[in-house]
Amino acid sequence: MSKPVIEVKNLEKVYEGAVPVKAVNGISLTITQGEFTALKGPSGCGKTTLLNMLGGLDQPTSGSIAIGGVDITTLSENALIDFRLRNIGFVFQAYNLIPVLSAQENVSFIMLLQNRPKEEREARARQLLEAVGLEGKEDKRPGQLSGGQQQRVAVARALASKPQFVLADEPTANLDSQSTANLLDIMERLNKEEGMTFVFATHDDRVIKKARRIISIEDGKVLSDD
Amino acid sequence: MFKLAWRNIWRNKGRSSITIAAVMFCVIFAVVLRSFQVGVWEHMVGDIVANNFGYLQVHQKGFWGDQSLDLSMDEAAIDWAAMENVPGVRSLVPRLESFSLVSTGENNRGSLVLGIHPEEELSGLRLTDQLIDGRLFTPASNEVVVSEGLAEYLHVAVGDSLMFLGQGYRGASAYGQFMVAGIAKISNPELNKQLVVLPLETAQWMYNAMGLLTTVVVDLEPNADFAEVKASLEPLLGADFELLDWEQLFPELVQTIEADMAGGQIFVTILYFIISFVLLGTVIMMVSEREREFGILVSIGMRKTTLAAVTVLENLMLLLGGAVVGMAAVKPVQFYFKYNPIDLSGQMKEAIEQFDFEPKLYTTTSFIINLNHGAIVFVIGLLVSSYAVWKIMKLNPVKSMRA
Ligand SMILES: Nc1ncnc2c1ncn2[C@@H]1O[C@H](COP(=O)(O)OP(=O)(O)OP(=O)(O)O)[C@@H](O)[C@H]1O
Ligand SMILES: [Mg+2]
Repeated sequence: MSKPVIEVKNLEKVYEGAVPVKAVNGISLTITQGEFTALKGPSGCGKTTLLNMLGGLDQPTSGSIAIGGVDITTLSENALIDFRLRNIGFVFQAYNLIPVLSAQENVSFIMLLQNRPKEEREARARQLLEAVGLEGKEDKRPGQLSGGQQQRVAVARALASKPQFVLADEPTANLDSQSTANLLDIMERLNKEEGMTFVFATHDDRVIKKARRIISIEDGKVLSDD
Repeated sequence: MFKLAWRNIWRNKGRSSITIAAVMFCVIFAVVLRSFQVGVWEHMVGDIVANNFGYLQVHQKGFWGDQSLDLSMDEAAIDWAAMENVPGVRSLVPRLESFSLVSTGENNRGSLVLGIHPEEELSGLRLTDQLIDGRLFTPASNEVVVSEGLAEYLHVAVGDSLMFLGQGYRGASAYGQFMVAGIAKISNPELNKQLVVLPLETAQWMYNAMGLLTTVVVDLEPNADFAEVKASLEPLLGADFELLDWEQLFPELVQTIEADMAGGQIFVTILYFIISFVLLGTVIMMVSEREREFGILVSIGMRKTTLAAVTVLENLMLLLGGAVVGMAAVKPVQFYFKYNPIDLSGQMKEAIEQFDFEPKLYTTTSFIINLNHGAIVFVIGLLVSSYAVWKIMKLNPVKSMRA
């Protein structure tokens, strides 16, 4: 049995407003090391909200989130930012990258924030870009890359910080099927070869098909988990 | 991080050029405006003070207020050698000045009568350069040089004679008849209307003030600080004397300058306001353009303070660029107009001449003005950048990425 990386208990998120919305309504789940898991469900069911809370980007209304044993709901803002830097890789839906930095620099940047030495940054960035099939494109700016290539750079960046897991919110939403297949293959390989944990929020069947664990969510609740 | 800021400058060339251009324009405009303003006064003060009245004058105590010959001082009461040895003092210039009625028989006018040694005088009263007709009086003669304006008013020409009628020392009557040896154009318009110059000894004799002086002008070395020289001279003078600097001699002039400067200040302040809004606009533009990017950076683990610092650094480089270019661009303009003043013509000229000003616009080349305005614009830019800092510090990554 692998060790748990994320443990969520009774998580709730209410968006206050004229009509309060219970976006996440009592979710408990555990993600263990090496998973390749998809959160699926209809639009508006609370996938993004849940994922953001797992990533420490959003505070839950109640419940707890422990990552590697640390309860992140109690961290101060700066501590949380540093925690994200060291423990969590992010891939967002689109436009993940800093437009003025090259692919290589985008990947190195996160290691620069971690104060890693220059040689290590450069070597690892090159190695990761190669792993996502972008050798020769290191010096291209995001604007000169296709959407699929940009997402692959984002995956490389997410891994660069050596996180405990990678959260990806609709990473394939803006991609054609060729790029989607390509990106999924890469992530699957990284998952198998390096044991990197991936959690997706998606309603893309192509992603769901590849997932080894599928958590269905509806109205902020876990419907099924297999 | 520096690289990131540097690259960001080039990403939106429109915004960057607006920022640089705004800062540049503002610095150039403010500096040109102030340079002319300061330049005109500098020139006028230079003319009045450096050429005609001196930065420092020694009198018998109370003379400057009373303007009475009775408050003259004895030449022998002054330690000339000691004063001339004070660093910064180039020479001491003796004068006897008073008022008299000057008459041709048909026309007459109250005039400023100045007894001097022309060869020892300040440059504006050495008279060799100023003469437009005739010649200089010979020492101790009964000859005078009349200012251009006064000669015109009295309708006198070289060779004519003039009668003087006034009060001498201690109630003696001062009377004399003199021959006009020359006519001089005095640079200061006020003096040019009413000045009569004659040999110092002749004036002393006419006013029954042998061996007496009303004024000793302290002529300074070119770069001497008058306040410093004043401080070193003061102990050399007894309590019977007053040592006045030009600001004490011409308080109205100082006031006029201050009022005029304040007017200019208002204008420049308005300019700064406009520029502040332009700069604020560019910062708002930047923040909204990058909101998503800021969100991503904070999400992946960049501290807000670091992000804010990079953003401010970027603005700082832009501002500095604009300010430096502006300050540099304006330098030749300042130099050009200092030596080639704009000659005013028409109505403007008449209006200005009425106030006894020379109708020319000079600039100053003082670099302090450039630095001041460069710095002010720079500070405004920094203040405006704090909008970006504020936005970043209260940034919510989830919200900003949704945008
Ligand atoms: N900031 C917010 N303020 C108010 N309500 C919100 C906010 N964010 C999300 N919601 C609401 O919470 C619910 C869940 O939203 P969420 O974005 O998590 O859904 P989702 O499953 O990611 O949907 P999609 O598949 O469309 O991305 C929705 O009803 C949404 O309208
Ligand atoms: Mg979503």
